[in-house]
Amino acid sequence: MAAILEINDVSKDYGQGDVIVHALQHINISLIPGDFVAMAGPSGSGKSTLLNIIGGMLKPTNGNVVIDGKDVTRMSNAALSRLRRDRIGFVFQNYSLIPVLTALENAEYVLMLQGLQTSKRREKVLAILHEVGLDGLENRFPRELSGGQQQRVAIARAIASEPALVLADEPTANVDSTTGGALMDLMRMLNEQKGITFLFATHEKDVMLRAKRLIILKDGCIVHDGKPGETIDAA
Amino acid sequence: MHEQDSDEMISMLSRLAWRSVGRNKRRTIITVLSIALGLTFALFFITLAEGAYYQMIRDSVRMQAGHITLEQKDYRDAPAVDLYIKNPGELRNRIEALPDVEETKLLILGQGVARSGNGAVGVAVMGIEPSVEAGSSPLAKKIIKGEFLADTDDNLVIIGSSLASRLKLDLEKKLVLTTSDANGDLVDELCRVKGIFQTGSDEVDGFLVQLPINFARKLFTMPEGSATQLGVILKNQGKLNSVLKKIRGMLNDKDIVALPWREVMPELAAYITLDRTSNYIFQIILITLILFTIFNTILMSVLERRREFAILLAIGTPPGQLQLQVLFETIIFGIIGVGLGLLLGGAIAYYFRVHGLDISAFLKEGVTVSGFAMDTKMHARITAPIMLWSALIVFFATLLLSIFPMRRAARTPFADILR
Repeated sequence: MAAILEINDVSKDYGQGDVIVHALQHINISLIPGDFVAMAGPSGSGKSTLLNIIGGMLKPTNGNVVIDGKDVTRMSNAALSRLRRDRIGFVFQNYSLIPVLTALENAEYVLMLQGLQTSKRREKVLAILHEVGLDGLENRFPRELSGGQQQRVAIARAIASEPALVLADEPTANVDSTTGGALMDLMRMLNEQKGITFLFATHEKDVMLRAKRLIILKDGCIVHDGKPGETIDAA
Repeated sequence: MHEQDSDEMISMLSRLAWRSVGRNKRRTIITVLSIALGLTFALFFITLAEGAYYQMIRDSVRMQAGHITLEQKDYRDAPAVDLYIKNPGELRNRIEALPDVEETKLLILGQGVARSGNGAVGVAVMGIEPSVEAGSSPLAKKIIKGEFLADTDDNLVIIGSSLASRLKLDLEKKLVLTTSDANGDLVDELCRVKGIFQTGSDEVDGFLVQLPINFARKLFTMPEGSATQLGVILKNQGKLNSVLKKIRGMLNDKDIVALPWREVMPELAAYITLDRTSNYIFQIILITLILFTIFNTILMSVLERRREFAILLAIGTPPGQLQLQVLFETIIFGIIGVGLGLLLGGAIAYYFRVHGLDISAFLKEGVTVSGFAMDTKMHARITAPIMLWSALIVFFATLLLSIFPMRRAARTPFADILR
């Protein structure tokens, strides 16, 4: 099966002169459609930096990232913007919803950017909100939702455009463990039922255990890449 | 993007902008009030100043030779009574038939010496049509002793209070006017004081003698019906150029010219231009200070929402769309602020239009401009162009201010903020 994401020899350095931090060093990862991958590691290990490079929000110092056969590292800002809109879904730690839009409007925002007709957009988003368990909460603003509900809206927004890949940066970091578990179950369900590819950063063992594959980063290098059971202690 | 898509986008942007504006009410109130107060101050000063200029022009042209003056083409270079219009009657009738003309008036302007038993003073001698001037000339309303002139008055004059004081003249007292007539001969006429006026301007009160035009013709040995000037008073000063063009088209005599008041009273025109310029500079400084407050609040509203913008950019919002959102928010601020400013400023201007603003307490000596005493009660002048231009300038200045915040929003370093 063709890879949906290829990370080829990616390195990222911060700083100049004598003070250079090697945030990522020679990273090689390949994801195929339907993967459900957790990326773990201590703070500063390079998880977020790698997610930002995959999402086209940061340029690597070396190497390249290919999504759907297109080299992200060579794209213009406008092309990157379109790529993020059409092919990548994002779930951030928290406060990732637009506070002045309702749950429904937040979820449909990307579809609106894509120019989907209102009726089709609404139909699709209502179905997704139903899938993520937000029936009856469509017209609530983020401030009227719990943290877990907000993350469900964020997940709905991330998958609404049927992206090739969903990137989630510590999606359960700011919710309690029960809610975090439920969110992971939801993402896993979407992965299994809809075949959506997920790559998420986490430092929680419970979350790692729910992944099909676990990549562990340390000091910007991959120290392990395999099934969660095999690598969990290394994290 | 299809038309429907762009409509959808505009609708979403409007919703985002409107709700963002409503989200931080205190910031919105500060911004809207800043815009409204800026426009209110601007309207207050501009309408008062324009009202003062309007009054000055209105009074000056009524006392002198009208908004448009017809005279011999060489008169301005070397004013003399031999440069007169022989038969202005027919031209006058045609001009009076123009719809924008309120009235016309004949004048004879000359120089002379007024003598009494107590001295002599060089004076400006102005022959007027009393029945025309009585209703419109500000001088007719400034009589402090005696009466204004009548058409039938013979050898009667009105003089200013300062001249009366210098020559120790009072009502019914005699004075002799000595002048050169249209033939160049030295002539004397004995006349009596019918009235004494006081305008507050020393140039007018101390050196002007008015007399009925028939008496002036006799004094200067000029033919029946002649005048050195034919003045045209307009119903609306704004129609000056169009009426001037029409009148110039009527002139068959190449020796007669039609001049706008600006050329006849250049000192007054220069004063108004200078004062208006300094007033605009003051307005610009005032509005710039207020715009700085507005700029601050708009920029703050962008900086406060860096995370929100970062997320929008991260999920694929084109930077241009974020700029549009900030622009929409500014447009909302602008529309509400300018609307409120027009209401407030308009109401204040209307109050001072009706009741006037008495500044005599600050100007005890009075103010004279080019020999014309300014009325110390200023009446604001509200016109559609003043309201419209002030509103548009404040509105577009506010929009200009959003350029930097717009760019900041579009250039939000989203990777750093979301890390």
